[in-house]
Amino acid sequence: MVLNLKSINMKTNYLFPYRLKKISGIIFLISFIVLTLLYFLDGFEKFPIKTKVFAIVADYGLLGETKNFGWIEDSVTDEILVILTIVFGIIFAFSKEKYEDEMVTSVRLHSLVWATIINYALIVLSYMFIYGMPFLTVMSAIMFSQLLIFIILFRYNIYKLNKAGTDEE
Amino acid sequence: MKNNIKVQRAIHNFTQQDLADKIGVSRQTINAMEKGKYVPSTALALKLSQLFKISVNEIFELEAED
Repeated sequence: MVLNLKSINMKTNYLFPYRLKKISGIIFLISFIVLTLLYFLDGFEKFPIKTKVFAIVADYGLLGETKNFGWIEDSVTDEILVILTIVFGIIFAFSKEKYEDEMVTSVRLHSLVWATIINYALIVLSYMFIYGMPFLTVMSAIMFSQLLIFIILFRYNIYKLNKAGTDEE
Repeated sequence: MKNNIKVQRAIHNFTQQDLADKIGVSRQTINAMEKGKYVPSTALALKLSQLFKISVNEIFELEAED
């Protein structure tokens, strides 16, 4: 029986193609930085992009009315940035490596498990020690923290692997 | 788990990169396997066995902690 030894590459068809990695990484990084800066500098009000949006639920604070399943006027600066960050963050995090093989799959799983544990540890700590309005900032950060921690851990582990691989032949 | 991939590689006069190309993994994976940091899947172990023309048992060996 003759097998093609090269076809060992795992058929991981749930990952995005490698060619999207660089461009999605750049868009993710830029939109994440802009989002963070605007959030802390109250930039969403300074650079509004007013438009009509469809709201399933909309509630304008204490004095405003509640509107369900209707069109409302709102600034979509933050919506655009959040969508860009999440969509391109997911593509960057879950696209194939240049040399995708079973060890990369194992490193990816390992990083994902640790990212989940670290993220929930941070959530528990924030929940225990942060109260009042600052907790809103924590809630906003939680939207991206697991993805961000995973990306950092995975990139670091792949970097360590590549570095260990170059020191001997 | 112990393995003698490095020895087999020397016998066949392959570099890590040669072996990596032949079985379709990265050189880093070969390096990690030789150092015992990564235990390959059954499929990959069988590919090594076929390439080196020896049985899997002659390449890999269980240790006490396994």
